[in-house]
Amino acid sequence: MRSPEGAWRWILAKEWRALVASRAWWVLLLAMGPLVGMSFIAAVRTYAELSGMNGTAVGVGEAFSPLIGVWAPTFSACEIAAAFMLPFVAIRIVAGDRRSGALKLELQHSMPSMARMTAKAVVLLAGWTIALLPPVVAIMMWRSYGGSIYPPELLAVATGHMLNGALTIALAAAAAAVSEHPSTAAILTLTVTVGTWVISFIAAVQGGIWERLASYTPTSMVAEFQHGLVRLDVMLVAATLTVLGLTLAAIWTRLGIAVDRRIYESTAAGALAAAVMFASAFATASWDASENRANSFSRADEAALRQIHEPLRIEAHLAAEDPRRVDLERRALSKLRRVMPRLQVQYIAATTTGLFEQTASQYGEIWYELGGRRAMSRATTAESVLETIFALAGAVPPAEIDRDVFRGHPLAVPPRGAAAVFYGVWPALVVAGGLLTRPASNGLLTRSGSER
Amino acid sequence: MYSAPLSPAERVATVFYLPDSIAPWPEQTVRWVLDFTAGYFGRAQTGSYAATPSDVIGRLDLEPLLDSRIGTLSKGQRKRALLAVGLLTPQPILLADEPFEGLDLRQTREIAQTLRHYAAAGRTMVLSIHQISDAARMCDRFVLLSGGRTRGEGTLDDLARLAASRAEVSAGTDLEEIFLALT
Repeated sequence: MRSPEGAWRWILAKEWRALVASRAWWVLLLAMGPLVGMSFIAAVRTYAELSGMNGTAVGVGEAFSPLIGVWAPTFSACEIAAAFMLPFVAIRIVAGDRRSGALKLELQHSMPSMARMTAKAVVLLAGWTIALLPPVVAIMMWRSYGGSIYPPELLAVATGHMLNGALTIALAAAAAAVSEHPSTAAILTLTVTVGTWVISFIAAVQGGIWERLASYTPTSMVAEFQHGLVRLDVMLVAATLTVLGLTLAAIWTRLGIAVDRRIYESTAAGALAAAVMFASAFATASWDASENRANSFSRADEAALRQIHEPLRIEAHLAAEDPRRVDLERRALSKLRRVMPRLQVQYIAATTTGLFEQTASQYGEIWYELGGRRAMSRATTAESVLETIFALAGAVPPAEIDRDVFRGHPLAVPPRGAAAVFYGVWPALVVAGGLLTRPASNGLLTRSGSER
Repeated sequence: MYSAPLSPAERVATVFYLPDSIAPWPEQTVRWVLDFTAGYFGRAQTGSYAATPSDVIGRLDLEPLLDSRIGTLSKGQRKRALLAVGLLTPQPILLADEPFEGLDLRQTREIAQTLRHYAAAGRTMVLSIHQISDAARMCDRFVLLSGGRTRGEGTLDDLARLAASRAEVSAGTDLEEIFLALT
């Protein structure tokens, strides 16, 4: 019998042909052009208008970053595709073998089930990478307009969408393997997706542990990558969940194994993944890939903060839905955590909205405690937070260095030719590709049936 | 014959099971499916029963179907294509479920001839057949199953003797009569 390595290449080739024969994948490719195009055209037009095009105030968008102004909205189309189209492609590839009976034949090779599932995942990821070509076209068009490109932040955005794609594929594969029918798998997958949205909603209302949990949902993960923030813990959790999904899919596609044993193995895999994810949550390393340091204080401020070795504790009397808390978290604390991993933050509130808590004696106060010294402030801006911390530490706030200030890349150019490319050329190419790659006689056998 | 149950690894190495009523890889052509089978499973390491794609294509008259997709084949055509898949696998035992289901008389005879060819070359064929008359025509040894139990096992003569020992009236050497006598 063929060695597992040799057989794996055949399985890989088979999965690739199954993907190319899949209408769901071609529909995904077809839809990606207009989806990305619509987002890109709207983003570039807004960016241009704010940069002074068509009589708007010149200079409004001077500090504009293409990451926030163009790439985050353009790539957000990929998030929609990953949530609503990619699962169907993955389910078809995993469930198709089971429904057609091909799995019964393929399982009669000694190849480990995980190797078989890995081949599917590799092919599906390749398919997803091809589906991400329209954003690449958008980048090329932006460049042709004279737009600025900062590769690290683009790489961060692309990494986020690749991880999101891998997570979606693993989830859909597990759902397809566990359920008997593809439609049940689709419902399961969408239920999990909606479930993550519910977690994000609860986190916005309740805060606390829910906020921490919500930071690992695909939506939150993609949002961070789209802002150029690459967190090690998020990547580890996403990788663990992906491996777990594929492992569950591998376990449940072993048709001849008793259900009890499969449940036992699934439980063990789930417990192991939970332990790894729990440990991953303690990884504090992160990288700000954005050109405008959207997730960081200035280099001088960070250097000064690193000189503070005493543990800092912050107690904020702000409700979960209070906009000031959102400001404090986004503009200051999220940046502070990256520099001071030992930072302890506690939010205290009796209500979720804070609307009827405003008259409470301490509501709105933010208390800072450093080395036994305490200070209170009500301001939520990054500058005021830093000022309070430096005052408590007895440090002199560093002077702003001019070369560190992000000056932005305004571009007052309309999205010329984008509509034709994304609404016309791309769909035409996809349709042509779909027609040209229909299964044909291109195997290793000649027409006479003899081997080459 | 094996007297002890096979371990999963031994089973994979020894027996290839060809189920009935499946339409695997429906979007792929017969040509590619045969190519895939030969590539994925590899060739038998020992034994002269090893079939080549060109050999099974010729014996099962698959030449006109090579560029057709599996999903577009009729039941009989698909049965022949899948039998070719089974014959290309390297395991020394081929267990085929209802190999003649959906075939006309001529096709049944041709396939029986093909199976006999590979059996003569050293491959063990285990056929699961509901039509007892078909089984009687094709097979050398029989295992009669009914109600989930083995009712008899052996050559036609062995079964006839067994039936005669149990029934008051001799069932002769007609397998259908023997089956009725034993069940």
